[in-house]
Amino acid sequence: MKKFLYIAAVAAMMVACGRPTVPTNAQKESRLPNIYPDYTDVTIPFNICPLNFAVREGASEVVARFTYPGGEHTYGENQKVLIDMEEWKDMMKAAKGESIEVEVFAKVGNEWKAFKPFKIDVAEDSIDPYISYRVIQPSYVAYEKLSINQRDLTTFDELEIYNNMSVSTEAKGQCINCHSYQNFKTDNMLFHMRQGYGGTMIVTNGELRKIDLKTEETISAGVYPAWHPTKNLIAFSTNKTGQSFHTKDLAKIEVQDTESDLILYDVDKNEVSIISELDDELEVFPTWSPDGKKLYFCSAHFEYQNDSIAKETEMIQRYKEVKYDLYCADFDPDTKQFSNMEKVYDAADSLGQSVTLPRISPDGRYLLFAQAEFGCFHVWHNDAEIYLMDLKTKEVRNLTEVNSKRSESYPTWSSNGRWIMVDSRRDDGNYTRPFIAYFDRQGKAHKPFEVPQQDPNFYTFFLRSFNRPEFMIEPVKVTPQEFARKAKEDAVKAKFAKN
Amino acid sequence: MKLKLQYIYLLLFVIAAYCLLPMTNSDYLYAIQDNNVFISGHTFMVDTVTNEGGWLVWVACYLTQFLYYPWLGSSLLIAMWTLIYLMTIHLFCLKDKSSPLALILPGILLFNLLDYGYWIYAAKTPGYPFQPTLVALFILLCSVLAHPLLKHSKYGSHLGKALPVTLCCLFCALCCILIWKPQRRNILNNHHCSILTTLTDKNFKHELRMYRAIDESNYEEVLAEWKKVKTAPTNLMVMFKNIALMHTGRLTDMFKTNNCGQKPETSDTLQERISQLAAPLIYYQFGQINYAYRWAMENSVKYGQSFRNLKMMAQCAIFNGEFDVAMKYLTLLNTSTFHKNWAREHEAWIMNSTRFIQSQDFQKIAPLINDDVNMLDNDEGDCKQYILNHFANLLHAATPQLEEVIMCLSLWTEDEYAFCVHFYDYVQKHPNEAIPQLYQQGAILLGTTESSPITLDKFRFDAVVSERYNQFAQDFNQLTRQGMDAKEMAKRLKPQYGDTYWWYYYFTNY
Repeated sequence: MKKFLYIAAVAAMMVACGRPTVPTNAQKESRLPNIYPDYTDVTIPFNICPLNFAVREGASEVVARFTYPGGEHTYGENQKVLIDMEEWKDMMKAAKGESIEVEVFAKVGNEWKAFKPFKIDVAEDSIDPYISYRVIQPSYVAYEKLSINQRDLTTFDELEIYNNMSVSTEAKGQCINCHSYQNFKTDNMLFHMRQGYGGTMIVTNGELRKIDLKTEETISAGVYPAWHPTKNLIAFSTNKTGQSFHTKDLAKIEVQDTESDLILYDVDKNEVSIISELDDELEVFPTWSPDGKKLYFCSAHFEYQNDSIAKETEMIQRYKEVKYDLYCADFDPDTKQFSNMEKVYDAADSLGQSVTLPRISPDGRYLLFAQAEFGCFHVWHNDAEIYLMDLKTKEVRNLTEVNSKRSESYPTWSSNGRWIMVDSRRDDGNYTRPFIAYFDRQGKAHKPFEVPQQDPNFYTFFLRSFNRPEFMIEPVKVTPQEFARKAKEDAVKAKFAKN
Repeated sequence: MKLKLQYIYLLLFVIAAYCLLPMTNSDYLYAIQDNNVFISGHTFMVDTVTNEGGWLVWVACYLTQFLYYPWLGSSLLIAMWTLIYLMTIHLFCLKDKSSPLALILPGILLFNLLDYGYWIYAAKTPGYPFQPTLVALFILLCSVLAHPLLKHSKYGSHLGKALPVTLCCLFCALCCILIWKPQRRNILNNHHCSILTTLTDKNFKHELRMYRAIDESNYEEVLAEWKKVKTAPTNLMVMFKNIALMHTGRLTDMFKTNNCGQKPETSDTLQERISQLAAPLIYYQFGQINYAYRWAMENSVKYGQSFRNLKMMAQCAIFNGEFDVAMKYLTLLNTSTFHKNWAREHEAWIMNSTRFIQSQDFQKIAPLINDDVNMLDNDEGDCKQYILNHFANLLHAATPQLEEVIMCLSLWTEDEYAFCVHFYDYVQKHPNEAIPQLYQQGAILLGTTESSPITLDKFRFDAVVSERYNQFAQDFNQLTRQGMDAKEMAKRLKPQYGDTYWWYYYFTNY
């Protein structure tokens, strides 16, 4: 016992001695430090994991002092600031509803510099503990290793939900598409797979099924999904999608739908029915209002004019004419009937813009969407920005607080509506990263912060994108092995039901 | 004497290995490391070690870097194989004449490394040159360490008898594992045994040399290599040769040499090969920066990340002014042992745009980029055909270099209409200049076809060109009347007309 205490004391002393000291003779700088990820003056939830960062000032040593109500801590390891998990939790507890001041010192050459301190505001609102996203290389046509992962935001833990390599073979590669949850819970969830072992994996009350949603009456299997908030119903878009490539434009690729419609899938009856399949309309991106009585979606009016060429060819020639507006239809959950379809936001004709990826706040008050000059695949459009519509006043504004000069897309809300998450390419223009921003009670978003990683240089060295991030209040319980086993089974064919 | 014999065998093996590796296949080894990647740091390590056999792959990737200098990388491999040889002798207590048996495993490992051929571009196992060697070394090391312990245990006498048999089985199993390449399908080349490609296919070697020379902007080296070509070249070699001619201002000479690739390949195979082997480099050299980036990205997804793709993506990003993503790739390359100088050089291009503008890359490639044209299209995986059609269909050229490419590539497509339109424009733009003989040859031949939009009366051709064409037509008609087949005719007319576009047009396939 004595020996153990002695070792523990020595270890404690070593830890204490290892803590960096703040230089006393540092030269004051009037600017903020260049840190990555940029956590200066952000608002964070009190239950988030530590915001580790790297100081990119060409320094040989750095020290960061975190001053919070009730104390201070210093950190610094070469060019990185790596925060102790337990101390961070204490800081968060003490600073809840208040701020932490961070002073950064960097030794450049032989001289220490003290940068202008910055604040980290700690909100009283918590964030959903989990997010999930598709991890994919930002390639164009080729795909190999893809996975849907879930990340615990309160720690740095990340686990795979499903990895296509568990079923992919050289001859039968598999691509994973969008995932969706009912009300941020994972007992009812889905994701779609195509090519090898294709089908839609649907978890209902924890039970896993693999469904083939393609019917003779519909143009494809379900693509962009939205699970109804109270019923076992899923709205999907069906799409005929093609890709073409820019010779000069930095967007590099256009992903276009030559045809698209909306379908409703009744999970219990295994039935597909049509929501909308209007001629000359490209309907896509369905999303439900929180009460389940309205379905919002995007649609572009596009009339093919030249019968002598293929639709794909004409679409490529006129790609800049494809602009999506925002629509809404009433929905009766009991009869499953849609009515009163109306245009909610005229982006195409009035503004010459294209609206995609609408998502409604859990209180039903606000709607986020991504807007750019044309097209439907804004993750590749540098001008894509997030907009906010107040559904009460119908006012729309550019959510400048969260936008950057590069593409922002896939906006989504946390279950309490206080946090929004967007996919952004602001780091380098090519790799999408999830950013989270506080959305306060006055309807204002705060400066977003990049989802923290244990190694602050992780995003620099990681050559894959994080697509379609979604909040979850609990982890997915079906294991990757169970998904893989089911994926190898034949899909159950969905029936088509006439309205 | 016993000892000496063992070492003589070893020495012979080492000499053979050096002959087969860095002495005769240094470009092959360099290409292997170029298609491999190792990034220092936590992220790459975690990404690698969390997969099956992760640590082995990580170490193998690290060691594969050393093939950047083929002698250095080969020496590492040969040193490991020497250890394997010595440990095998020790473990099996091999004596004098039986000691060559200990060379079986190193021999298999050497064979395995050479048995990739074109698969060096498609092998999806990172660090494959060192992986089997490390596995063999590890197993033998464990066996050597365990051997005395087991011998002296209470089960020693039983184990002492069983151990050699067990080791023999393990040894055989190991050999099978090492030579088994389950991912291979015969899509890349026509050789069933890739070691024949590596050792005997001269075009494979020419391709490797020419690729590296172009990558290093050493176009004269490409043309020097081309002169060494004795057999029918591959399509890739033809492409490389024309790139070198283009960047040395001699593209109008392209039809003076063999301009058609080997026939045995089907068009599908060719498409697959060009996109895998060199599409990013070819697109980059023709100023098709987005396509070069795209294929570097697609190839890195399909076949795994590589230094080659990282470098290409960095170069393209710099050209496109996407400096943040360029810095990302350069940061990664900066962590490598041997590509960091390249990365630093290119970082300087970002920091100082003058250096970039003065660089050979910019000077050669920028004039080929038509600034005001953005098109949305698709190459359908056929790099060569896309480039030919792209340039043949361009409406105007902003620079003399681009003008030359448009003229020559529209001849290469054999598209009468496209060439004649460009020829007309060319003559209008250069009213008082001599028309290059190649363009005249093209116009005299293609201008008389039905789809030609021009009439030849309006142009003045050099007498020497006109007379030569008349003579060619006369000879051609005479041999046709005699009933000579095209192959024989091609052979007969080659000495006189082999350097003309006419000969290319009619006979290049023979």
